[in-house]
Amino acid sequence: MTAPAEAAGTPVPADEAPVRGQWRQALTVFAENRLALVGLVIFVVLGGLCFLGPLFYRTDQVHTDLASVYLAPGTPGHPLGTDGVGYDQLGRLLLGGQTSIVVGLAAGVLATVVGTIWGAIAGFTSGWVDAAMMRVVDAMMSIPSLFLFMLMATIVTPTVPMLVLIIGAFAWLGPARLVRGEALTLRSREYVQAMRSMGGTGGRAVRRHIIPNAIGTVIVNATFQVADAILYVAYLSFLGLGVPPPAANWGGMLSDGLANTYSGYWWLLYPPGIAIILIVLAFNFIGDGLRDVFEVRLRRR
Amino acid sequence: MARYLITRLGQALIIVVLVTMITFVILHLLPGGAARATLGKDATLAQLAAFDHEMGYDRPWIQQYVMFIGRLLRGDLGYSFQLNQSVAEAIGQRLPKTMVLSLFSTMLAVVVAIPLGVVQAMRRNRWPDYTITTLSLLAYATPIFFMGLMMIILFSQVWPILPPEASQGFTLGEVLADPAGLVLPTITLAIVTVAVYSRYVRSSMVDNLNENYVRTARSKGLSEARVVARHTLRNGLFPVITLLGMYLPALFSGALVVEALFNYPGMGQLFWQAALKRDFPILFGVTLIIAVATVLGALLADLLYAAVDPRVRLRTAARS
Amino acid sequence: MTPLLRLRDVSTDIPLRQGVVHALDHVNLEVRQGETLGIVGESGSGKTMTALSIMGLLPSGGHVVGGEILFEGRDLLSLPPAEMRRIRGVEMGMVFQDPLTSLNPTMRIGAQVAEPLRVHQGVGKAQARERAIEILRRVGMPRPDKIADAYPHQLSGGMRQRVVIAMALVCSPRLLIADEPTTALDVTTQRQILELIDDLREEFQMAVVLVTHDLGVIASRADRVAVMYAGRVVEAATTAELFRQPRHRYTEALMESLPGAAGHEGGALYSIPGLPPDLSRPMTGCRFAPRCRFATEECRTTDVTLSGDEHQHACLHPVLQPRARAEVAAPVPGRAGPQDEVAPILSVRELVKNYDGTGSLGRKAPQVSAVAGVGFDVRPGETFGLVGESGCGKSTVGRLIVGLEEPTSGQIVVDGADIATLDRRARRRMHRRVQLMFQDSYAAMNPRMRIDSILSEPLEIQQAGDRAGRRSRIGTLLDQVGLPRRVLDRYPHEFSGGQLQRIGLARSLALEPRLIVCDEPVSALDVSIQAQVLNLMRDLQRELGLSYVFISHDLSVVDYMSDRIGVMYLGKLVEVGPARDVVRAARHPYTQALIEAVPSAEPGVAPRESVAIKGELPSAQNPPTGCRFRTRCPLAQEICETEPPLAGGAHQVACHFPLRTAD
Repeated sequence: MTAPAEAAGTPVPADEAPVRGQWRQALTVFAENRLALVGLVIFVVLGGLCFLGPLFYRTDQVHTDLASVYLAPGTPGHPLGTDGVGYDQLGRLLLGGQTSIVVGLAAGVLATVVGTIWGAIAGFTSGWVDAAMMRVVDAMMSIPSLFLFMLMATIVTPTVPMLVLIIGAFAWLGPARLVRGEALTLRSREYVQAMRSMGGTGGRAVRRHIIPNAIGTVIVNATFQVADAILYVAYLSFLGLGVPPPAANWGGMLSDGLANTYSGYWWLLYPPGIAIILIVLAFNFIGDGLRDVFEVRLRRR
Repeated sequence: MARYLITRLGQALIIVVLVTMITFVILHLLPGGAARATLGKDATLAQLAAFDHEMGYDRPWIQQYVMFIGRLLRGDLGYSFQLNQSVAEAIGQRLPKTMVLSLFSTMLAVVVAIPLGVVQAMRRNRWPDYTITTLSLLAYATPIFFMGLMMIILFSQVWPILPPEASQGFTLGEVLADPAGLVLPTITLAIVTVAVYSRYVRSSMVDNLNENYVRTARSKGLSEARVVARHTLRNGLFPVITLLGMYLPALFSGALVVEALFNYPGMGQLFWQAALKRDFPILFGVTLIIAVATVLGALLADLLYAAVDPRVRLRTAARS
Repeated sequence: MTPLLRLRDVSTDIPLRQGVVHALDHVNLEVRQGETLGIVGESGSGKTMTALSIMGLLPSGGHVVGGEILFEGRDLLSLPPAEMRRIRGVEMGMVFQDPLTSLNPTMRIGAQVAEPLRVHQGVGKAQARERAIEILRRVGMPRPDKIADAYPHQLSGGMRQRVVIAMALVCSPRLLIADEPTTALDVTTQRQILELIDDLREEFQMAVVLVTHDLGVIASRADRVAVMYAGRVVEAATTAELFRQPRHRYTEALMESLPGAAGHEGGALYSIPGLPPDLSRPMTGCRFAPRCRFATEECRTTDVTLSGDEHQHACLHPVLQPRARAEVAAPVPGRAGPQDEVAPILSVRELVKNYDGTGSLGRKAPQVSAVAGVGFDVRPGETFGLVGESGCGKSTVGRLIVGLEEPTSGQIVVDGADIATLDRRARRRMHRRVQLMFQDSYAAMNPRMRIDSILSEPLEIQQAGDRAGRRSRIGTLLDQVGLPRRVLDRYPHEFSGGQLQRIGLARSLALEPRLIVCDEPVSALDVSIQAQVLNLMRDLQRELGLSYVFISHDLSVVDYMSDRIGVMYLGKLVEVGPARDVVRAARHPYTQALIEAVPSAEPGVAPRESVAIKGELPSAQNPPTGCRFRTRCPLAQEICETEPPLAGGAHQVACHFPLRTAD
């Protein structure tokens, strides 16, 4: 009866449209977003290279080799040259990628899980518990995250698991706020009321209605969290508080490369820089695509 | 309006108190506590005990917290033995420079992002939109220091027109006297900000262009330019004011990296150097002040929004 | 005389994600100077797209792909954009459906109204403001000089619609296009707005195109009517002629589906089977053929064009007999009112619901009195209709009955048990006996659940039966509401409004309840679909012995469905009685006003004007003392400041000056 509905014409009668599985439908929508597909391809390629590459391309990334420092790309045995202590740059890129991807994924997932739980509790309980929990989030959010990360990094020695913990421990604030908002809106949806009018309990509302509908938002946000976490690792490395050598990550390599900017050792700078940009872009693209997936299936007609 | 002001101020105050608590808790999580943090790792046990007693760190936590707040209220943020300077003084010298950097880059970002976002919204899903979207995602994915380095390589090496390092002036006046040194840090910090702002302006404008009132405006026979200028632009840009407040933490984080890269003598650089030297009094002082600045900034943005948008203005006025 | 506006073979396409919708297909229309042309049709018929094509305001991507739109002899489609803008702003004006969103929220009313003057006529700021105030006064705004400085959100929906009208008229256009101008408004406000448009048409000597889905609005306001179906005009005639003798089978069917239309008092409505066609697919033949009872093979293969002079129609088997006039038919046996002796299934006593006002943090605003002492009984097998305008508290009563909200005070007795006294377990069991049916079934279904999960949810909650038992119960439910089994593995968004309403009804029936509270169950549906759902509800009631509490703003629907009716105004029940008595012999002035405000689908029935409501609905935060209607009542006296009790036999009224005495 409304005017906009007219433009859309009429829905496909139930008996005509072919039944398509939820997953296939989701895949189609995701694939329609070209950038999302590009993101997925970048992620798969980079991930595959970093985790499978070292099996075929073996290099020594533990012992320094001061006899072969700053070798230019193309040197036999070192397609991307070597760095200031003689590590093979390509091998190091693959190794560093593992750390960056693992830390990013782990910290992103940790932040999402903690934030989801916190936000869900606040959203469901409401009242003063909610108010108190959300003020804590506000307060922590008002301390810029990089300052917090650095503060923590000065207190504890950063190792890979520690880095994950530190980033995860403070990056959950965004998801917490998001999930709380989502829980509040979903709680008042008519289908939750319909369920209550059948005598359903709050637990059922959460299990059957709220979580399945909020999960999309959470997953989309998680991909952005991963992208941000990878950047934070890079920043901490740049600021001298990253994981100490011989461990490697792209952020650390990029920071090391900075010191060599003026020496003309470009192969130490651009490859890790481009790698970070690519992986962060990939996660952002994937997030965009997933958002489409979750929104389109909710769109009516 | 007055009532809204009071409630919002109250909220901000609660958040500031919580921030002091969080800082206080982290301070006490330190191995060796505040004494070790202040005196450094070479201090003897006797020295530590004496310091703890003098500062009251051997008393119950609650009492300590009250004392901590008391000192804060007197403007006493502690003393940095490494800088041989009170924390408040050290921050006082650096804070204005960070503020200037943040302000300049925000202004630059707003000036660039608004037209970009508006163009994207008007040409949505066509090539200008796609180009700008791709560029801003690219800018967002680039670590700030890498971006800064690219700028240095471009504008100090390949085409040497700007200094690769910020002015080292001690006072704000000296820094401002050398504007060339400010250009690269400001632009670097602004680029990422532009990426975030333009995405926001775009979606806000798109939302507004899909509103029914735009169709009404068109039905009056207005040109598309007038529809955008007189109707959607204002409504689309109001929410950007609140974004200015929400983006502050990220802006300060960015400033930290930019100051470290360009060796700009602001709070970020102070914090960075303190972190490398484990100079905890400075670290805590800066954290606290930067958090308060964030809260105040967000408060200011919210009040400004309430003052300009008639929907909020009149609603709050009606309530008070 | 040449017509002011003529559409010749206009076709419009709207590209969508999945393909191109051919929204209009060779539409021919003409509008003469000074007349009102009504365009009537259901969703997807192309009536709004016709209006937007004329104005050149099609949604992005949409464009007219063929034909001519001649305005005063000039083809609007071939004009340069600047000239088209001038015509749109000066020569034509448009009023939109939703007044709440069609004004710029951050611009003052005066500036918005004056804008066309400033842009097209170069009028100075001060003078434009003067003229804006003048036209605001003309459209009936109280204190227009104050209103000019206000913002839209400070006005009610009806007032905002007046502003939109003022804005459309400020340059004295030759043509006013009103697209569903009153659909979002209450009937009493609708009447005021329609009357205003009528008056202004005469005063400004302009032509009006009135687009609506409501045959009643058309019948009472239009000189000529064009009926649209699936992007085509299927019939066009003068209003009197069309309603006297519709020729196209679609028009005929549409009129027969109206509740309160002739010939089915108490009986089943005619309902058009099926759904309108998908306009993105190619079609041959008459587009109504698949749903038409008289269609032959010829209808499906031949393209029929409009023919005839004054009364045009595009039908191979047109109606030949004039339409039967409404006659007061005897009530169908078997729908005689249930016996008084039977114990009520639902009994509501002195029900009160107050909400906390929304003040700013920590500050108490006055309470909102949503329901203030409502009481009624519903007997087994009976339908109790609850009617009233938006904000009268009828939906809140429904939510209280099904236990979605706690009453502030008062009793709700279901099947002899006061639900406030039940323990948790018994309360949960109570939900088996009372179910709720929503207005928007789509919103009331989890979009991520398939229909089988949606239908089995109530059974799972109440732990009714095992897996197989539930499965077969769902099958029975689908049979009852007339849907095939294959809907089970689909998602809600794949269904149309009418189908969703069937599924919603099936879900309400799952637990074999004795009472279903239906909150505006057909308000979002087109007339033909509405008839399907109403018929289904009545059939099921007869089969299963259900009771309904039928909540609606639409008096004719409530009248059709109900045995007894309660009329609500601002939280109070002002009149209760047998449906026929309340509708045909109202005792409360408010009921009378409500009845008279409903436009009748019988042209020539002159609008009666015994009780016309003036002014705006008072705030429920600060309701009038005594009789709550007294601030708007033409009969109000001093005594009305004391509250009248609801009194008088079977047909009760709460009024000091009832229009009729009790029988």
